Amino acid sequence: MLITCPYCGPRDVIEFTYQGDGNRERPQPASQDLDAWNAYVYNRLNPAGDHNEIWQHSGGCRAHLRVVRNTLTHEISSVAFTRGEHKGAARHKAEGKI
Amino acid sequence: MSPRRTDAGGRIDRLRTIRFTFDGAPYTGHAGDTLASALLANGVTLFGRSFKYHRPRGVLTSGVEEPNALVTVLRGEVREPNIAATMVEIYDGLTAVSQNRFPSLAWDVSAANQLGGKLLSAGFYYKTFMGPAIGPLKSTRFWMFCEHFIRRAAGLGRAGTAADTARYERMNAFCDVLVVGSGPAGLMAARAAADQGARVILSELEPHFGGSANWSGETIDGMPAADWAARAAGQLEGYDNIRLLPRTTVWGYYDGNTLAALERVTDHKERPGKGEPRHRYWTIRAKSVVLATGSFERPLVFPGNDRPGVMLAHAAERYADEYGVLPGNKIALFTNNDSAYRSALALKKAGAAIVAIIDVRPELSSEMRELADEAEAKSLAGHAVVATEGGKALSGLKVQRFDMVNGALAGDPRSIQVDCLLMSGGWSPTIHLASQAGAKAEWNAARQAFLPPKATQRWIGAGAFTGSFSTAEAIAEGRAAGLSAAGGTGTPAALPVVEAAPGDPDPAPVFEIRADGKSFVDFQHDVTAEDVRLAHREGFISVEHLKRYTTLGMATDQGKSSNIAGLAIMAEALGKPIPEVGTTRFRPPFSAVSIGSLAAERFGDLRPERLTPMHDWHVANGATMYSAGLWYRPMICGLSGETIEQAYVREARATRESAGIVDVSTLGKIAVQGPDAAEFLDRVYTNMFSTLAVGKARYGLMLREDGLAFDDGTTWRLGQQDFLMTTTTANAGKVMQHLEYFLDVIWPELMVHVTSVTDEWAGAAIGGPKARAILAACVTGTAVDNAALPFMGIVHGKISGVPVMICRLSFSGEMAFEVYSGAGYGTHVWEALIEAGKPFGLVTYGLEALGTMRIEKGHVTGAEIDGRTTARDLHLDWMLSKKKPFIGSAMMDREGLIAPGRLELVGLISLDNQPLNGGAHIVEALDEANPHDSIGHITACCYSPALGKYIALALVKDGKARRGTRAHISDPLRNRFGPVEIVSNHFFDPDGSRMHG
Amino acid sequence: MVERQSPLEPAPLEPELRTGSHGDFEHGIEVILSETRPGSILQLVAWPGQEKELISGIRTVTGLALPDGAGAGSTDGVRSVFGFAPGKFTVVDEAEGLASAFANVVTPAIGTVTDLSHGRTAIRIAGPKAEWVLAKFFAIDFALPAFPVGAGRSTMHHDVFAQIQRTGADQFDIYVFRSFARSFWKALCHASEEVGYEVQ
Repeated sequence: MLITCPYCGPRDVIEFTYQGDGNRERPQPASQDLDAWNAYVYNRLNPAGDHNEIWQHSGGCRAHLRVVRNTLTHEISSVAFTRGEHKGAARHKAEGKI
Repeated sequence: MSPRRTDAGGRIDRLRTIRFTFDGAPYTGHAGDTLASALLANGVTLFGRSFKYHRPRGVLTSGVEEPNALVTVLRGEVREPNIAATMVEIYDGLTAVSQNRFPSLAWDVSAANQLGGKLLSAGFYYKTFMGPAIGPLKSTRFWMFCEHFIRRAAGLGRAGTAADTARYERMNAFCDVLVVGSGPAGLMAARAAADQGARVILSELEPHFGGSANWSGETIDGMPAADWAARAAGQLEGYDNIRLLPRTTVWGYYDGNTLAALERVTDHKERPGKGEPRHRYWTIRAKSVVLATGSFERPLVFPGNDRPGVMLAHAAERYADEYGVLPGNKIALFTNNDSAYRSALALKKAGAAIVAIIDVRPELSSEMRELADEAEAKSLAGHAVVATEGGKALSGLKVQRFDMVNGALAGDPRSIQVDCLLMSGGWSPTIHLASQAGAKAEWNAARQAFLPPKATQRWIGAGAFTGSFSTAEAIAEGRAAGLSAAGGTGTPAALPVVEAAPGDPDPAPVFEIRADGKSFVDFQHDVTAEDVRLAHREGFISVEHLKRYTTLGMATDQGKSSNIAGLAIMAEALGKPIPEVGTTRFRPPFSAVSIGSLAAERFGDLRPERLTPMHDWHVANGATMYSAGLWYRPMICGLSGETIEQAYVREARATRESAGIVDVSTLGKIAVQGPDAAEFLDRVYTNMFSTLAVGKARYGLMLREDGLAFDDGTTWRLGQQDFLMTTTTANAGKVMQHLEYFLDVIWPELMVHVTSVTDEWAGAAIGGPKARAILAACVTGTAVDNAALPFMGIVHGKISGVPVMICRLSFSGEMAFEVYSGAGYGTHVWEALIEAGKPFGLVTYGLEALGTMRIEKGHVTGAEIDGRTTARDLHLDWMLSKKKPFIGSAMMDREGLIAPGRLELVGLISLDNQPLNGGAHIVEALDEANPHDSIGHITACCYSPALGKYIALALVKDGKARRGTRAHISDPLRNRFGPVEIVSNHFFDPDGSRMHG
Repeated sequence: MVERQSPLEPAPLEPELRTGSHGDFEHGIEVILSETRPGSILQLVAWPGQEKELISGIRTVTGLALPDGAGAGSTDGVRSVFGFAPGKFTVVDEAEGLASAFANVVTPAIGTVTDLSHGRTAIRIAGPKAEWVLAKFFAIDFALPAFPVGAGRSTMHHDVFAQIQRTGADQFDIYVFRSFARSFWKALCHASEEVGYEVQ
């Protein structure tokens, strides 16, 4: 599997670390809502199809990426920095079906 | 002169004689021969014994799909079993032996297995050895008794035990167009793509480019096809945008158009060049792929179809045309299609007599009749072979009238004397890679074959792979595929002109002749047509089940020659058309891959080593090194004659009495910089860091999001916006990722940069009552007294001319300092400290003494922060700030994490004065015969020189409340049982008076 | 001043790793391996939106102009600079003391400077087979059109992180963590044997 890092270009999945379900929302730091914390820490979506995922390009630029990946076909339809677009940095657009 | 070598022709170099041995007997061949062609040329017909029945087997094919002629190749002590003789290029000194025979190939005792055919039929293992133990001859216990004998009798080659000394390598390649297969289609595709300026890789699993052009006998552009192919391949060599990979099998097609290939670099050489790998494992990332992988000819299924001397028609043609070898002098052919007629004519031209062409079809085209006439062959249309005769070589066959509509045989069998029978059951496109890449193959009723699926990745097919079996089509499709793959458009340039024998590509739908005797479907696994029907009768209706029950297609050849026939027989038994029965999807690898190539450069040295700046000093000064993760650290700095325990006890004692120094360069170090650095640390650590003054350090604890303890260490404030965080050695990478995650994903608004600076600094921890005096003796530019350097203070100075940063903190519990310098000065500073310490009795110590002193102090490490413990469990709740939220603060007080009965950190003292063991269980009451009711376990243990006792740290249920009570060690694995006292984890100097000074 | 110790020497390295010709050198030397030992290796990181200011600061101090785009870089043989991650740059100088030169240029409002002069080891591989040897380690495209002169890449070989800058048509400078340098150097030598290599 190849992931097209917006900075480094297409790289082998071996350079990336999966950092979990990208749909999770962390409660406010001071929140005492245990249900919300439980959902954030333990619940993961597992869709058969497009999934929002967080990957870190740990073996490259180390940026975290929001990746939309089809769990059935491994097709990656979009990749973006979690921090938002870096000015002048984005060189590689996700190529869609690879 | 070899008995079967033709007088002329072929692509072998007749002037070069190669000497080799097979089963100990010396043979000669020519450069360009395979082991199969050279042995055939020497008149050898018997190559091996079959898997179950030990039937004599010859060579069936001329290529990678060979199921029968498997040999073991010996190189020195190293043996490589199950290599197809058709794929072994001979070299001087080649030593090959046959397999699965005892005591010899020609006389094999287990051949009697043939007589007990019923016993070894499909499902033999399941029926005989599985199920409940009723009676002595059933059950897995019986299997365990029989296994030894069966394993010896069945199977293929024997693996060697000698270490493989060959070198293997991995190679990464990128290209615009990968062309797999170099027949006419592949050659055209590579050229067309390269002419568009694309970066092209052309791979060919055989030693020579050209594929079928090398033996087809056709004419292309007015020259023999083999010459045309050689010229075309030669032209490709002149392109600097084409990489040619001969002897390279593309064996896997993965996501993202990533393909795996095995290049056999030196298998054909007497010895590899210096540094040359035996195999290269290529990972090829191709923008697009041209699959020009050709097709496999299929055998026909009839009684005795496995006898030596029975061969695929095109294989014989290839032996004659490419290697100058006749597999027989009196040859018959048995076919359901036209391609065999071309083979007959080729063999006739090469000097063989073609006795008969037996064709299941009642009517032949006039072209085929003419070809048969030209081959001077008797044409037996509407006939079938019903038996073969002979032992280790073929002596004849029997034919009968055959009705292909109902499969009925009629009339008396006629005998025909031949020494070679060639068969052709039609052709199957080699769609393996396309199947691996995605969708299911599609059955084509006219071709009686599965054609490639619609592309699900970026590949384009060309030639026989697509079911276009003629060379003219291959050439046209190849060029079009190459152009398209390179993103170009068609050019009107004329295509090479092909002159070929005529032929209809569609075979008759006949796969099996049902008559008495064993008719083999899968040659390598000895699966017969009757086995397939038996599986059906026993209720196996899915092709997947059929495969597993009969093992059809599961041998090393993965059913390349047997899948379609097996499927057809199953379909007939089910009364369904073939496409409804389906086919199994092909999985990687396409053909056998050496395990060495997968390990590649990790063969032997599995991991890189991480060395500290002082590594060479430690080794030169007698330290015993120990691998901790990837790092190498001194375990002990032993004196000669010392045991490990003697060494660490001496080191720890000397440190507490005078001073000791240890290399702590491996501690994870992370620069945390930026205006929000302090705020970030407040969120990351359980305690406050924003209140830390510049020039001071603080011990910090991190939790995970779920509230469990994660890592600990000190963090130094070097400037208002500049912190140096230290982590445990083992967790350095994890902590770094943790910080990066929160900065990138959760709090992107924080202006903080984190950088791994572990390797920037050399660290030496010097501790003990004399430590300060030693520093005072060698540090310039700063005072190190209590006023200048209080506990957790940081100063900058120089040692022996090198800038250093010194922080007063302690892991050993002594008055101690960590001295950091640039890594390139590490040894220099270390030596200066050693020198300064000489008058004070300074010792160097290693991990064992470090661990001993930390156990005495009751500090936690990864053994206690094990992913299950909370800060409270470790008595670190004093570090949990109530003034701010931090990572884990919301989850750390969940019910289960504060409930009674949790494992808590305690100290243990051995009461029988015997050593304790890590991992040993702790029980309230001893029951050596039936150990039970563990209340905890030991996490770390040592002999404590400070206490003069064997002690340990342990996690014990409600441990804090048990202090002062007794319990027992229960360690049945090591047979260690004994009484212990449960105490506080702070064994030594609990109020810290020594380190505070 | 005390001389810095390299992780590659004066270590008791295997003889074939020492200065001289090794491997299949009888058939020609196609790779030259050396340690460049720059005096300064810095990491400069801009806050979001401050990349242009940082790039201009780099130009002020080093005289090197960074081309646009991810991974772009430049070298004059003495100083080198390249981007290796969004907003992040590696700046290298033969001379020591580059960090202090940047201290007043890269203000806290622009970004941060981290001195890695000791923490990274610079290994140079040059020669007609440099791409071939590097392809054994890294799954990135080393061909000149894909990886132009001056450009930088972040990648890894198993556990060894590497920043690679192409400093010539057939020359690459590889920055690895100091603690991995000897292990990686040995692997590089091993992989270069088949093409013949010289250690300088």
